[in-house]
Amino acid sequence: MKRNFVVLLATVLVASLVASAGTITGKVSGVSGESVVYVNAIQGKTFPAPSERPVMDQKGLMFQPHVLAVQQGTTVDFLNSDKVAHNVFWTSISGNKKLGHNLGTWPQGEKRSFKFDNPGSVALLCNVHPEMAGYIIVVPTPYYATSDKSGNYKIDNVPDGSYTLTAWHEGAKPQSKPVTVSGDTKADFSLSK
Amino acid sequence: MGTRNRVSLLFVFTLTILLNRSGYAIPAFSRQYGTSCSTCHLDFPKLNDFGKAFKDAGFKFPKDDETFIKIPPVMLGAPAQKELWPHSIWPGTIPGIPPIGLRFNTFFQVYGNNRNSFNAQLPPGTPGPFIPRTDFQPGLFSIFTAGNFGSDIAFWVDDDISVGGANGNGGLGDGYLKFVQLGRLFKLPEYALALRVGQFELDLPFSQARTWNLSGWDIFDEANVGAMNSLVPQVSQNTNNVFAFSSPGQGVEISGGRTYRGYHYSLAAINQNTSGTTAPGSNVSPAVGIFSDSNFKDLYGRFSYRFNLERNPAVRKEIMAAGPTGPHDHTFISLGTFYFYGRSVQRTSGVLTDGTTPNVITAREPFYRVGGDFNFNYRTFNVFGVAMYGHDKNLLPFTPLGAAAPTGFISGVPAHFSGGFIEADYLALPWLMAIMRWDRVQSTADFLNGVGSPQDSPNANFFSPASTTRNRFTPGIQFLIHANIKTSFEYQIRPQQIVYDTKTGIPIAGPLRTNQAVAGLEWVY
Repeated sequence: MKRNFVVLLATVLVASLVASAGTITGKVSGVSGESVVYVNAIQGKTFPAPSERPVMDQKGLMFQPHVLAVQQGTTVDFLNSDKVAHNVFWTSISGNKKLGHNLGTWPQGEKRSFKFDNPGSVALLCNVHPEMAGYIIVVPTPYYATSDKSGNYKIDNVPDGSYTLTAWHEGAKPQSKPVTVSGDTKADFSLSK
Repeated sequence: MGTRNRVSLLFVFTLTILLNRSGYAIPAFSRQYGTSCSTCHLDFPKLNDFGKAFKDAGFKFPKDDETFIKIPPVMLGAPAQKELWPHSIWPGTIPGIPPIGLRFNTFFQVYGNNRNSFNAQLPPGTPGPFIPRTDFQPGLFSIFTAGNFGSDIAFWVDDDISVGGANGNGGLGDGYLKFVQLGRLFKLPEYALALRVGQFELDLPFSQARTWNLSGWDIFDEANVGAMNSLVPQVSQNTNNVFAFSSPGQGVEISGGRTYRGYHYSLAAINQNTSGTTAPGSNVSPAVGIFSDSNFKDLYGRFSYRFNLERNPAVRKEIMAAGPTGPHDHTFISLGTFYFYGRSVQRTSGVLTDGTTPNVITAREPFYRVGGDFNFNYRTFNVFGVAMYGHDKNLLPFTPLGAAAPTGFISGVPAHFSGGFIEADYLALPWLMAIMRWDRVQSTADFLNGVGSPQDSPNANFFSPASTTRNRFTPGIQFLIHANIKTSFEYQIRPQQIVYDTKTGIPIAGPLRTNQAVAGLEWVY
């Protein structure tokens, strides 16, 4: 009997938690193309790093995807799918030059990995092809989304509460605003370059 | 040659150096592939290893070209049409946008204080040529188009539309079709054979038409024009061969191998070009100069071998050497040789063997140019050079006793020259290249043209830009403002010389130098 009670209590608790998770939707305007919107670090909360390893590919002399958002602690695989040598390096993470890194140069089919432990925006470059650029946005929480090209985004399963929400777009000044999540919540951004 | 002519020669020589620049980066490729100039160029138009491979492949990416093209080509027939051949036209493509690039440059030059010192040799009251101390020189405005028609057929046309002339001197430079990767037709490695048809710069060890220097290499501009010097008839030269390697050739060329690894060869047969200028379409020669003698075509051959010296065997075979911190050109050394054989054609008024009946007599003087070259590269440091020897048979008009004019020709002392250059380029930063050069040309024709003759300058075998031995040391520096905008500076240092009184042989000026500073700005788009 006691055991059944504990199970029932846990079920109710989980159900109540799920019920208190909301969705943040909105639109990033003022810029064109993909943006990243994410919940900033939440005081007193840490999140385990995901085990999935997203791939940043170099194909057709381009970084693909052009913008990749990952949670802090994620390991990213850098793949070269071109039949020319590519290099990957970044000079800083969010302006911190101490976090700059050069992964080196490698041929087609090979990949190298890097674990991003510091949040911020990482501007990826290739020193073989200076026109190539890609971005990895390392966010501190699992609550983030990449918008579609029209700027529409949706972040699911955000627990109710008050947070700071930040929008990032290539070449634009990031914008942050407070948001209180209670069920479905809407937050729009207007960025400028 | 008198003093005035000598000063004029100096001026023309300088102008020739200034105007003999024709470097081409290819914005058309940047547009087509969506990539930077620096993908193929170190300091445009100097090619890196990838650029050499791109050129060797027929202006295509060496592998999987179609995956890199951002602007799809227009199909001139579906690929499946190949199945119908010969009952269908073999399908090809044209670039999705007109592959056109434009280039403009402009220059500013400063001459040394002694620039007009040779005028001291003129009789009092005689106006001499005037060389301004500073001078803005309008540059070239060139249009060029290049690409690939599919089926491994490449094309190139460049034309300086601001001035007349040809190749490095303006006008139509190269204009050709090149059929690449023909080796597979003969069960050879596909890169073993290519065929080029049209007008093109010969396969020189280092391109003069597309040099990255402000001034071209002197040896490639060297013609062999002698003089009938009555003071020293025993060495007179009837040679009037203004062919220089900087001139374009019109003809066909087969080539093979790769310029970024292993062997490379080329064999070309081109029109004779005694006059040094481009022939009109009909190739009809004027009375004096002869563009082409249809009885014979000049022949050119070149062979080189490049040893890539990377320790890692896998990296050694790659087009570019890749290290942990980034790519770089291979550490390599290449050695090459080249040979040109032609006939310099001259016609002059003469008589038949009866000594009186007017006749046109024609001399076809065999001549050759032979040389060797080396190129050593260690990452961003590159040193290379050419040594070359030129030889013209020198047929002298022969007038028998009693004849009113020459009836034919006899062999004279051959007219020859030798020289070359050594240049070191150091790419200190991706946008900054330092250059040091030494050019040297020694010519018997220069000697007979007055500088070394007893009448003009008894002690004239000095180093000077218009002497029998011409030396030039040229430090320079080039900055890439953007990948397509470059500013360059060079300082041409010539060894000291003395100006002599032409009658007494007494020095009247000097020792002096005729140094020159040149700054250039050019952009392509």
